[in-house]
Amino acid sequence: MTTDPWWASETFWRKTAIWVTAGSFVVLVFLTFDSMSQITAGTRRVPAYSAINHRIEYRFDEQRHVQTPVIGAEEPLFGKKLTEQEAEALVEKGKLTIQAKNCMSCHTLLGNGAYYAPDLTKAWLDPFWGSREVREELMVAFIKDPSDKLHNGLGRRMPRLGVTDEEAHAIVAFLKWMSTIDTNGFPYNFKPLDQEG
Amino acid sequence: MIEPVKLANFFATFFSAAAVILFGALYALLFAYSRTRNMPRLMALAYAAYAVLFISVIVLANVANLFGSLFWMSVAILMLAGYLAAPHAIWHLCVNTHAATHHDGFDGHQPSTPLDCSNPETFQQPCKEKTP
Amino acid sequence: MTALGTIDSANLNGGQKLAVKYFSVALILFGAQVVFGLLAGLQYLIPDFLYEVLDFSINRMVHINAMVVWMLFGFIGSVYWLLEDESGIPIVGLKLGNIVFWIFTLAVAAVVAVYLLVQIGPGEHSTLWLITEGREYIEAPRWADIGIVVCLLVFFFNVAATFAKGKWTGIGGVLTLDLIALFGIYMAGMFYTTNISVDQYWWWWVIHLWVEATWEVLVGGLMAYGLMTVLGARRKIVETWLYIEVALMFGSGILGLGHHYFWIGTPEYWLSIGGFFSALEPVPLVAMVVHAVFDSGVHKMRSSNHPAMGWLIAHAFGNFFGAGVWGFMHTLPQINLYTHGTQWSASHGHLAFFGAYATINIAFFYIAVQKWRGNVWMSGGLIGGWKWKWSMVLLNLGMVGMTMGLLVAGYEQSQIERAIEGSSWAGYFAAQSHPWFQQGMFWRMVFGGMFAAGYALLVLDLLTIGKRETRPAQRPSADG
Repeated sequence: MTTDPWWASETFWRKTAIWVTAGSFVVLVFLTFDSMSQITAGTRRVPAYSAINHRIEYRFDEQRHVQTPVIGAEEPLFGKKLTEQEAEALVEKGKLTIQAKNCMSCHTLLGNGAYYAPDLTKAWLDPFWGSREVREELMVAFIKDPSDKLHNGLGRRMPRLGVTDEEAHAIVAFLKWMSTIDTNGFPYNFKPLDQEG
Repeated sequence: MIEPVKLANFFATFFSAAAVILFGALYALLFAYSRTRNMPRLMALAYAAYAVLFISVIVLANVANLFGSLFWMSVAILMLAGYLAAPHAIWHLCVNTHAATHHDGFDGHQPSTPLDCSNPETFQQPCKEKTP
Repeated sequence: MTALGTIDSANLNGGQKLAVKYFSVALILFGAQVVFGLLAGLQYLIPDFLYEVLDFSINRMVHINAMVVWMLFGFIGSVYWLLEDESGIPIVGLKLGNIVFWIFTLAVAAVVAVYLLVQIGPGEHSTLWLITEGREYIEAPRWADIGIVVCLLVFFFNVAATFAKGKWTGIGGVLTLDLIALFGIYMAGMFYTTNISVDQYWWWWVIHLWVEATWEVLVGGLMAYGLMTVLGARRKIVETWLYIEVALMFGSGILGLGHHYFWIGTPEYWLSIGGFFSALEPVPLVAMVVHAVFDSGVHKMRSSNHPAMGWLIAHAFGNFFGAGVWGFMHTLPQINLYTHGTQWSASHGHLAFFGAYATINIAFFYIAVQKWRGNVWMSGGLIGGWKWKWSMVLLNLGMVGMTMGLLVAGYEQSQIERAIEGSSWAGYFAAQSHPWFQQGMFWRMVFGGMFAAGYALLVLDLLTIGKRETRPAQRPSADG
């Protein structure tokens, strides 16, 4: 019976496997703590829910070479300025509805989900809505009953999902809030709705 | 931060990235085959595959703008060095793990045999690796 | 004892009797995955097909959920299959294992029934608890999540306690530790948060760490056992290589999580971490190639089970192309910025899931059916051997064809929708209407049909293979 060189022995690799796994996991946990501190709502990357009281823009950042969301002048959603608590409650209702209707099984949010319908990361800023004045109401109406609205030339339509008026408003709030998240330039080359007029 | 790929370079990016993996595997395959079957000529082909891999990495680094930053450049260099060395390292590992004659009697029906160079049917490795 | 070639549970040990139950349900769910995949694929071509009856969202959800669950059932079955062999003793809590099997299966049936009949609910927490959680892959409502964790815990207990009472082997140790990760990580996806960035951060813990880390290692353990059974490879070597593989897989896989954290609001350093580990990702694959060639020089390649061996080889290739080539093509952030959330991901997902996981489960189905029929001959010159060969060809060719169709669609999408039109809705639909996209989807459907035919033949073959055989199984060539 011969002995293997230490670096080819079963014991060496068993230990290596354990240490590599444990080491990677510890690093991941450390990075997770750091990431969590940077993506909690109310930070630079993920703004507070009350950001929906402001105009949201998506501008090219010269330093980072990509577009980033910019929170601009006061421009309350549905014309009603909300406190931080009210804003959070509204966005929460929107997020719950988005999960309850399984939006991600057709759409993508931040690029994750299914690919049967458009990405919603910047839905709030999409030129599809035409102008700033009519956007909010168009969005609410579309979400409540999309079946008879203009979609595309393909004949692909969003179904009616029984979304109530309250839920539709909340979804719009969630979408507006989601557009404030700094996604490192995703989506790239996006041309937002003209909000100046 | 990253410098996104230009539209004109999309195809080159996908193609060179796929080539990196494919030729990395081809290099490893030819390398291992050349060693197991004792066919030194194949080794030249193996290194030719590595050469293609090398070019693919350079093309990929170029179109994906990896040369623009120190970090991304070092990733590209690491790939070049890593792919070159990996099959050598794995080969040594194979030889040495399989050389072990310790047998725990799992199969029962098969007596434990050390690398048997005298029997080409069961062992086609170049015996120069093993025999003094 | 009944004649060779007849299905008889007396041929199986306790764990294996339980395993074939899991395999049967897995095979049925595999069928559900195929059926709902076909329905969803058809909706790309005929948008009004089943509109507001079974919408794309429902079909797609059942398609991917059936996949996750059938693979999980396959893995659980495979571990039960080898448990008594490995540990050398009967399973400690076999009765409990049987009860949990029935609970698990009924729960899955209940979840699917709710998916199909209730579909969606109001925007309240109760919907998340009772109907759907609405998060891709883990749509199962919270009550089912808790059920899954309990079932996995019982499974873990059975595995750990059986090995502890019998003998610990390397495979046993790796499997046991991996199962802790399997149910532990699942819990990272069991909470609600309004913050979509935090939501997706933990969601990826479940999806990536399950699929690209714990599942890979689980498969490594199963593969090790498979190689010893089918080829008669030597334990010490197989286990050393299992450890090497674990080190490489977890070493590149755990922090490889970074390539999902590019665009969800997480800090910029993830671009570097994700890119770096993506470049490392192919190293385990290169290791596998060298080792496989080395092994083939040592073995005489006389397998005792040709279909299983064929599927194990398909696994090696599928893993290499699906995870390796298809993954690396679009994983660097410089290009992923355009491919993220397009049919690129679908193309990669189809090939990688099939190549890495469906294949090895099918290999285990064949290993199981061979023993179930009294360890019958399954090597060359098999009676009705055309069936396994043709089902293998149809399934693999169907999958490659679907992958190619989706690739063409994704390539066009990344250019027109993402790069030129900047991901606006108009850009999205411009890309969806493009001939490349439409034709890609058409061919995906054609090859999907081929895949379905392959599935049907696979089921037929698993039910009949070895039926009229009277020869006992060929002994695997040993050593190496």
